[in-house]
Amino acid sequence: MIGALQFATDGFRVLYALLATFLWIITLLFSKQYFHHHKNLIRYFVFYFATFAAVLGVFFAADLMTLFLFFEIMSFTSYVWVAQEETEAALRASKTYLAVAVIGGLSMLMGLFMLDHAFGTLLISELRDSAFAFLAGEGGNFGNRQTYLYTAAALLTVGFGAKAGVFPLHIWLPKAHPAAPAPASALLSGMLTKCGIFGMLLVNCHILFADASWGRVTLILGTITMVLGAVSALFSIDIKRTLACSSVSQIGFITLGIGMLSIMEGRGIALQGTVYHMVNHTILKLVLFLAAGVIYVNTHSLNLNEVRGYGRKHPLLAAAFAFGGLGLAGIPGFNGYISKTLLHESIVEHMEHLEANGLHSEIGMFKTVEVLFLLAGGLTLAYMLKLFIAIFIEKGDGEAKGQKYSMAPLSGIAVCGSALLIPFLGLTPDVIFAKIGRTAEEFFCPAELLTGESEHIHWLSAENLKGAAISVSIGILVYVLVVRGLLMKREKERRVYVNRIPAWLDLEESVYRPVFFGFLPFVLAFFSRICDTLVDGVTGLLRSTVFAPRKRKMSIWVGTKMTHMLGTAMDAVVSVLNKTLFRNHPIVKSFVSVFAVSELEARQTFSLITGSVSFGLLLAATGLAISLIYLLF
Amino acid sequence: MGRDILLLLQVLFPVIAGCLLFVAARRGNRRLQTRYVTIVLLLEAAFVIAVAFLDKTTVECFYITPELRLILCNDGLSKLFGVLVALVWLLVGIYSFRYLKETEKPVMFYGFYLIALGVLQGIGLAGNLVSFYLFYEWMTLMTVPFVFYNRTKESIRASRKYLFYSVAGASLVLAGIFILAGNTDGLQFAGGALKETADRTEVLLAGVLLLLGFGTKAGMFPMHGWLPTAHPVAPAPASAVLSGVITKAGVLGIIRSFYYVIGMDYLAGTYVQTLFLTLALLTVFMGSMLAYKEKVLKKRLAYSTVSQVSYVLFGLALFTPAGFAAALLHMVFHSVIKNELFLFAGTVIHQTGEERVEGLRGMGRNLPVTFWCFTLASLALVGIPPMSGFVSKWYLAKGALAASVGIFSYLGPAVLLVSALLTAGYLLSITADGFFPGKDFISPMPEAKEGHVSMLVPCVIFAAATVLLGVFSAPLYEFATKLGTGLLVR
Repeated sequence: MIGALQFATDGFRVLYALLATFLWIITLLFSKQYFHHHKNLIRYFVFYFATFAAVLGVFFAADLMTLFLFFEIMSFTSYVWVAQEETEAALRASKTYLAVAVIGGLSMLMGLFMLDHAFGTLLISELRDSAFAFLAGEGGNFGNRQTYLYTAAALLTVGFGAKAGVFPLHIWLPKAHPAAPAPASALLSGMLTKCGIFGMLLVNCHILFADASWGRVTLILGTITMVLGAVSALFSIDIKRTLACSSVSQIGFITLGIGMLSIMEGRGIALQGTVYHMVNHTILKLVLFLAAGVIYVNTHSLNLNEVRGYGRKHPLLAAAFAFGGLGLAGIPGFNGYISKTLLHESIVEHMEHLEANGLHSEIGMFKTVEVLFLLAGGLTLAYMLKLFIAIFIEKGDGEAKGQKYSMAPLSGIAVCGSALLIPFLGLTPDVIFAKIGRTAEEFFCPAELLTGESEHIHWLSAENLKGAAISVSIGILVYVLVVRGLLMKREKERRVYVNRIPAWLDLEESVYRPVFFGFLPFVLAFFSRICDTLVDGVTGLLRSTVFAPRKRKMSIWVGTKMTHMLGTAMDAVVSVLNKTLFRNHPIVKSFVSVFAVSELEARQTFSLITGSVSFGLLLAATGLAISLIYLLF
Repeated sequence: MGRDILLLLQVLFPVIAGCLLFVAARRGNRRLQTRYVTIVLLLEAAFVIAVAFLDKTTVECFYITPELRLILCNDGLSKLFGVLVALVWLLVGIYSFRYLKETEKPVMFYGFYLIALGVLQGIGLAGNLVSFYLFYEWMTLMTVPFVFYNRTKESIRASRKYLFYSVAGASLVLAGIFILAGNTDGLQFAGGALKETADRTEVLLAGVLLLLGFGTKAGMFPMHGWLPTAHPVAPAPASAVLSGVITKAGVLGIIRSFYYVIGMDYLAGTYVQTLFLTLALLTVFMGSMLAYKEKVLKKRLAYSTVSQVSYVLFGLALFTPAGFAAALLHMVFHSVIKNELFLFAGTVIHQTGEERVEGLRGMGRNLPVTFWCFTLASLALVGIPPMSGFVSKWYLAKGALAASVGIFSYLGPAVLLVSALLTAGYLLSITADGFFPGKDFISPMPEAKEGHVSMLVPCVIFAAATVLLGVFSAPLYEFATKLGTGLLVR
């Protein structure tokens, strides 16, 4: 029965609701400066608060139905954020955003149909037991139950993954973030993607609990997302686009964690890594997008070459941005280090577990994942270095732009206050994170299902620092070689940043739009058109053939056969003549009717003559004359 | 006797009122006519609602032969249909005064409008298939003037096409009724009225004929062709009722013949069901796809109707009480939503003269209330929770999964969702362009403004209903479920 909205408030839900509230307050503080000269503000703020309510609804929902309802509301209200600026890019991005949201939502709905049909309940607290019972064979006839459940889970994941920005549905992020106002970008990246992640966690922990093959799929998707996002972030020369691609990459890290959570034996560590990275990414992207907003407000540009050197005189902004960058890159002492270490540790531990159990064939895959993980970590550092050096260290056009103080007091509080959280969380991992971890465990993997013992992690042990060190060296290497070497070119005696990604590599422009807006509608509409015109076509065909109304011939049959034949012959002759001799003055009468008329006239005259008295007298006279001649000769 | 008169009055009152309007048309100014029509519509609506509280009664009016009786009976379904029709008629009627103000002879429209209302009440109240057929034919004849109201060449052609399709459909229905008549006792409506000795082949053949025949009015492939032709040329209020109500008469015909005469358990699992499901799903997809490609607003909405009414038919084709209930829900919801959408089209055409969707760019700023109402109805039609369309689609999918119809159990919901995606594509793009025309967009019609309040109020009421019916759908759903399960027990 739908209708009743059901809510629940337990640890993890409250945690994320609090985090959302925090985000909304901070972005609201920031909005005063950012929107100083903007139009259509009422519209923006109406949808700003509506989305807030929807996000709270998503996290507090006790059943998937309620969750879905608020998820959809969230998608539609946040659409207005993306379209808010009404530039061409914004409108295009908002259409993409809406399309992805609607496709994702409908896919999710199909998944919900299937789950509801199979389980008879959509209460999140009952899902796991229902799933076990379902797989054990309860309920009606479902064919292959495992496949059924996988299908349902895949459909749900499409919906949640689209919002989270997991490959191949990440396409909206790099377009929507640069187009939206900065506070909205911060919320989109910091909170709305997390709603998607929350849903994916639900799928992996509540519907397909500890399903290793499902986990492997998640892991692969996460790895692709992670690397792809990092590479495109490295190439981008637009601040917000870089940050958006970075969001894709970090979502990849989180998805990887979700995958590991399903695969590995000791789930605690992967779960902690995943949830910590969720929280960290929320805060990091808040700071970074707000900083980007500050730069935009002052310089009215997001292009690296135009804002270059802007930050040289703004140390506070530089510090906040640096905190964000260091946290994102996972440098020890900042919050990102904690979560990335845990995620790394989960891969390493799983490989050890495989080694111990003699499953050597599978190690290769996880080894690859680990290498890619460290590489993506390095790329993170590289692109953040690129941004930081371009904006805050190098000299350039941006230096003279903007006001003396880059931030208004309220924005200053918002940016710096949230930036301080980054080292705070990073330096006290056992205080706040431990609590978060416990609440997450309660919600996603209750103690009786946790098999591995969770050992205490030594944050600054050599082994853990080694991972960070590898990433940092990769990052610096990539920055020096790739960014300074490949991605810059000399132009008018100075080096500028260039985007070397060719336009056709854009997945959306070169694949999705042609397929979904061009090819598929064309083919399907073609067949629909055939169906549409079927009856009308048959009717038309019948009317023009079998049931054609008997038409009279164009030329009415006049005159006798003789005159008609003569006339037709004459017409033929005339038409030949018209084409040759009389080309300049064609004869335009039909001889059929001419002959017919003259024949008719002749006949009428004849009957007139034959009927008259004078004709009788004439005949009598003729007769007399003939007999006279006969008598004479 | 008293109650009998009431049922008869429900049908006859608007018919007589409409005929009187024709007689009195020569005298009286337009204002008087408007008042007269409003009062008749209001009285009828109040009357229908009041009569809906009566217990089930059957009235035998007269009979042609002892087998062909004209019977009126107010069961649950006819109450639902009657109230729906009367309310829609009232709101659209109020809307139409301003819309038709500049046209030549609104009195001709209103005369037929009132008569059609009475005939539709008759369709709802008909107590057996013969009476149903009688009213059904009259409905076609009384609604043809709506289509050629503008008296342009296209509208006359369109009305001929409408007539051709309707008559072709009705003759199929008649053939079906002939075959069925021998196998039942007087074609009465009950949960299955077949004789014990009924011939299976004959009944199934009758089923196919009835399906195609009533499917014509309901806009089901292959006989949907009249909808996209007739709607763009008819005045907007007429399109609204054609799409929102007249198509539902076809649905009602299918319900009456399949659920009330033949019986749903008789048809479940037969080739008729397979045909029904296939045609319905094909139509759902085809309609949405063509609407997505269509650029003329009213034609787009007409294709949308083709698609959406087949959602209802899909629910009916499941032949389960759950499917029946879901179909009834969608029937009501779609009626409300589609009326709102056509009134939107009417307001836009009336205020700006723009008939193509490209011309609606940026109009959201000129006509904010109208566009908001449109947006709400669009979201409902797409099926975004908690709007009404979502509720019915949810139950449709649930019913499909629970029904034992093989591959259709999964194909059905999948097609519904793909169609919903296309629906979003063809409706939400209008909203998006209307409210977000682009930064440097200069409106070609900056002076366009909202319609008169008598056009706005019906729009707002319909839009509010699309939301409220979804949020408070429980009573309606329970009512429909009760009807459905009541039919199962023979």
